[in-house]
Amino acid sequence: MTALHQSRAEDSDIQKKIDYEIRMREGACKLLAACSQRDQALEASKSLLTCNARIMAYMSELQRMKEAQVMQRLARRSSDAGPMDDRSPCKGKVAISDLRIPLMWKDTEYFKNKGELHRCAVFCLLQLGGEIFDTDMVMVDRTLTDICFDNTIVFNEAGPGFELRVELYSCCSEEDYSAGSTPRKLASKLSSSLGRSAGKKMRAGLEPGACSPTSNGGGATILLPVPSVPGPKYHLLAHTTLNLSHVQDSFRTHDLTITGNEECSYWLPLYGSVCCRLAAQPHCMTQQMMSGCLRVKLGGEPQGWTNVYGVLKGTNLFCYHQKEDMEAGVEPVLTIGINKETRIRAAEKDPHSKAQNICITNQYGGEEVTHTLAADSREDTQRWMEAFWQQFYDMSQWRQCCDDLMKIELPSPRKPAIVTPKQGSLYHEMVIDTSDDIGTVTDILARRIEEFELRTQLGSPPHWMSLFEDPPRTPLNHQHLPPHSPSPRLHSRQPRSPRCHRTPGLLSSNASLTSDSDSPASVSPCFRQAWSPDTSSSSDHFRPRTLSLDAKLSTLRARGYGGFRCTCQPPTASSVSPRPAQTALSCSSSTSSSSSSEGSNSQESDLGFSRPSSARRSLRNLRAKLDPRNWLQSQV
Amino acid sequence: MSFIPGQPVTAVVQRIEIQKLRDGDNLILGFSIGGGIDQDASQNPFSEDKSDKGIYVTRVSKGGPAEVAGLRIGDKIMQVNGWDMTMVTHDQARKRLTKKKEDVVRLLITRKSLEEVVRQSMMQH
Repeated sequence: MTALHQSRAEDSDIQKKIDYEIRMREGACKLLAACSQRDQALEASKSLLTCNARIMAYMSELQRMKEAQVMQRLARRSSDAGPMDDRSPCKGKVAISDLRIPLMWKDTEYFKNKGELHRCAVFCLLQLGGEIFDTDMVMVDRTLTDICFDNTIVFNEAGPGFELRVELYSCCSEEDYSAGSTPRKLASKLSSSLGRSAGKKMRAGLEPGACSPTSNGGGATILLPVPSVPGPKYHLLAHTTLNLSHVQDSFRTHDLTITGNEECSYWLPLYGSVCCRLAAQPHCMTQQMMSGCLRVKLGGEPQGWTNVYGVLKGTNLFCYHQKEDMEAGVEPVLTIGINKETRIRAAEKDPHSKAQNICITNQYGGEEVTHTLAADSREDTQRWMEAFWQQFYDMSQWRQCCDDLMKIELPSPRKPAIVTPKQGSLYHEMVIDTSDDIGTVTDILARRIEEFELRTQLGSPPHWMSLFEDPPRTPLNHQHLPPHSPSPRLHSRQPRSPRCHRTPGLLSSNASLTSDSDSPASVSPCFRQAWSPDTSSSSDHFRPRTLSLDAKLSTLRARGYGGFRCTCQPPTASSVSPRPAQTALSCSSSTSSSSSSEGSNSQESDLGFSRPSSARRSLRNLRAKLDPRNWLQSQV
Repeated sequence: MSFIPGQPVTAVVQRIEIQKLRDGDNLILGFSIGGGIDQDASQNPFSEDKSDKGIYVTRVSKGGPAEVAGLRIGDKIMQVNGWDMTMVTHDQARKRLTKKKEDVVRLLITRKSLEEVVRQSMMQH
């Protein structure tokens, strides 16, 4: 009677799932009818397809269960119950990720500039047992070399004999017309007036499933024949089936069976293979299969039994001092390997104990090591032996999955990708590097200023000071900063006595924003002392900035500009010649090239600081790339 | 690991899996790469064969995700998440490592010491 109850419970479970999917399907149909935009329609159509597939899978599973029940009842009635001790292997998790399908565009396609871009919307449907998942939809046109699906799909209850069916569906997505909604007469009129190939495509698009019946390849798809619903329709483009032999901890390439041909509207030139990572974690590797108290013989003495708490998990039998140790995560006192090479046998009855001993023999680097264990009672011994046999059976069924635990990452919860309009500029592609941090930059500059100041304290001006005697020649004048009112436009300006020895520590990046107000005030007097040129020019160089850090930087630069140059390369006394950017400075790898430019290049470096660091980097990259002497290094 | 044109390249590889570290909005791996088919290979201090235009690890940040995962300076990266890295430009290589959507990169790397180990173990038998 209990079997019947259980099957009823499973029935209702599946029935609930079917009802849910039917509701989803109705929702998708309604959405499809109401959609105006092509993208929405494609998404709704995809959900519809997935719902249908799931309904069909559940219904066939229901069918199977009913048949199994009938068979069971028959078997019981005829009391023909066979030996019920055939083992069933444990289930496991199977994950497929990083699906990538390479495309092979003809060069004529690739260089075709006129005419509309042939675009298709594609997605993958994955089925294992009763579980069906779909990936996100990807738009494919000739600018893509591979179709990549970022999703990681995890199937939770898979047996070792699983068959994972991967199906690639595609739907033509030309922008010019919405196939399927144009009335036939109009469509034929249009097609006759359009060019031959365009008309052919349109006609093919209007006839749903025109290509699929002939080119299904014989294998039944997961799909039900769909009741005709207006809107875009997906067609099966390619499929393949993966099983245990394809499971590996790294990426592998598998062959695809392609259905459809060039005449179909949904055609894409597939290379013929799919690359993915298929990993499996059988439960015997991730869960505790057996645990209990044991006694193990440690050392050579015949009487040396130690009480341990044993846990059988994966390829090891862990022995802890006590159960609490295992829960606390303490290292086990003994670990015995249980793998394909291990031999376990029940030894002859030990005269001292009540039950048989269990001997586990392993080969550790050419040597045989045997551990002897004993359980408390005969039943326990039997249960442990049973657990070991089950473990061996599981390992023989799951094969390579039991060598090592394969990692399966659950997709991290991310906020849904915000679709940004395609930006053409480099700025939006660059990643901000930690060494590009503006704080690091100010640190470096501050250090340089310190060095420079120490030198000026010694009294002897650097030889390039001659450059600054002539006001129009100062590089500072080259900065194209708009003239500004003498007082910097920062709110609180604290008057400070002009001192050259202001510690650059104030200018460090760790300083709070309030210190910004100090720096220009303190800098300008110093500035006037260090350089002989006219004071009017100094204050002109405070450009209005929105970021306070930028303000800091600009003043730092105004001060430290000369300092920079004095440490990197002494320029010739006669002129300030522009130098090609080089990674000459050993410290700041990211800012050196832009900051070491001078003279006529100063504008770029000025901009390089105020623009986001990505632009600076792009400039640096460009210069570095153009210089054939460089061997670029990038931080990732 | 020397490259003979026309012959397939074979190497003893090690798999290294690096979990990217989230630093605000960025994902960092903690190492630097050098090399690429558009770079001057003779300046590569780590390659045995100075015409090898592969991607090499030039620096590993101490305690960073790469070091923790077992990446060492001087390693040559053969594959990243299934994508080949032996015939790519420097920028392509950088981009393949810094995809924002990926939290984990699985590398296939080779280093001279691996070959030594294999050779020695083969000699023992």
